[in-house]
Order: sequence, then C-alpha cells, then structure tokens
Amino acid sequence: MNDGELDPLIHVPTRLKIVATLAALPDGDTLSFTRLQDLIGLTPGNLIIHLRKLEEADYISSEKTRNGTVSMTTVALTGHGRKALDAYTQALRDLLGGL
Amino acid sequence: MNPAPDTTTPAGGGGNFDPQQAAALLDQTTQQARRKLAPSPPWLLAARGVAVLAVLGAIWLTVRGQHPYKGPTGADLPILVAFVILNFTATVTVRKHAMTGVRGKTRFRPAEITILAASWAIVPVIMWALATAGASFAWYPTTILIIPGLAWAAVQGAREGWRGTAVGLMLAATGVAGAFAGPAGSWAVAGLGLCAVLLAQAAAVARRQHHTPA
Repeated sequence: MNDGELDPLIHVPTRLKIVATLAALPDGDTLSFTRLQDLIGLTPGNLIIHLRKLEEADYISSEKTRNGTVSMTTVALTGHGRKALDAYTQALRDLLGGL
Repeated sequence: MNPAPDTTTPAGGGGNFDPQQAAALLDQTTQQARRKLAPSPPWLLAARGVAVLAVLGAIWLTVRGQHPYKGPTGADLPILVAFVILNFTATVTVRKHAMTGVRGKTRFRPAEITILAASWAIVPVIMWALATAGASFAWYPTTILIIPGLAWAAVQGAREGWRGTAVGLMLAATGVAGAFAGPAGSWAVAGLGLCAVLLAQAAAVARRQHHTPA
C-alpha cells in the first residue's frame, strides 16, 4: 500500500482536521461555522475553501439559517463522510502497520 | 470514488504530508476536539466526585455518633447548600461552554429537560409520602437519588446513551442501598456511591478521549 491509496480529499492537513473535528460529535450533530473556525484556528476564507471541497464530495453538509438579521451556518459530517474517514483511518493503520 | 487531485493548497495544503504526520495529526485533532466538545470533562467529574465524598463524608463524621439520630448540625447545612450550588453552577457553566455552536442530539431537548427538572421537583413530595406511609428511610439523603437517577437512566436510555443509563441506574441503586444503611450510615453510602459513580464516569470519558483513531 502507498500514499496514493489514502483518500486525497482527506489527506490534506486542514481537511483532515475538519473531518476529525466534526467526527468527534455524535452522528447527526452539527457545529456552527464560527465554533469550527475557533477549534481549528483558520481564517474564514480558508475554511470556506476547504468546506466547499468536502461538501462537493458529500463528506459534509452545511445549512444556513437566518434569525432576524443574524444568519448562522452550521456544518456536519455526513454518513458518507464518516465512512470515508473510517476508511482513511484504516488505510493509515494498514500503511503504518506495514512499515 | 476517485476524486481529482487536490489543487487547493492554501495554508494547510498537503504537499509533503506523509502518513505518519497524518496519523499524528488525526490523533491530536480527535483528542483535542473530544476534549473541547465534552459536556462533562473528566477533570470536572473527578473534582465533583472528590468534593461530594469530602462534604458528605464530613457530615457522616458528625452524625455517626448521634444517639438518637438528630441529623446534620447547623454548621453542616450551609456547607452542603454551598456545595450543591457550586456543583450545579460549575456543571452548567462548563457544559454551556462546551456546547457553544453545537446543535443536535448532544443537547437536551425541552421535553428531556422538563422530565429531569420534574424528577428533582417531585423528590420532596415522594419523601413526604414515604414519611406519611411510615418508611424509616423517607428522609435519608440517599432517598433523594432514586427518582432523579431513574429519570436520568430513562432519558439516556431513550437516546441510546448506555453509559448514561448505567450512571442513572447506579445513582438509583445508591439510593436503594442507603435505605438499608440507617440514618447516619446513609450519608456515608451517599458520599461513597456518588463519588464512585462520578469517578467511574470520569474514567470512562477520559478513556474515550484518549482512544486514538489511527
């Protein structure tokens, strides 16, 4: 097995941090964009770029809600995203175990 | 699935990201997220366990020599009340901080909050009813734990939180065990039971937080 078998969408430090952070929540729970940003320590623009990539692959879902003048974006790991992280973790284990 | 090669390489891009670094980052991020998003962190559970043992143990020391049993002295009660308030405030504050920005199953639903609040509100009524019925253990401190313990177990069971269900059942079991310990002994049973439950919970949460995915 080589690096090529690691899901390239997750095998990027920032995106790995995003999916690992969202995976720490129970299935179905969502996290606000600002809290995720706070936990990961990214600029909003940078976080948006990576979230968009993950959302395009259906690894995460996002929802924008509006309460009066205040709008809030929440993100969650999808079932597909959780499976992808599990597969990535297993691939890492296999790869490192084989060293 | 065969995604296109990644072209987004702003800060955090994966140029020379080897598997060992990835495993370390995955473990570190997972543990950090679990720690920061934990509604009841192990340190708080352990501190509450030690504090409840100290407070209830101190009361047991003052009442164990009473013949006949008169209950805690006037000096004990303010300490007990202060402990209950401090315990509640610390638990709510830490939970609120951890749950900032989190929505979904982790948060209690209004119906669950109502059930839990009602289970505490009904305690004096139950104790009074038991006293009226002539139950010797009616006013034991452990009796307080039975209904809220069962309510917690039911709420956690409904959301398939089996560890929480076990905690609730252990609290109720402590309440039942106290009924056989006598009025003075029930303070020791309450202290030891609550301490054991909280320390077991702290150990379980800590174990989960330190479990490494990769």
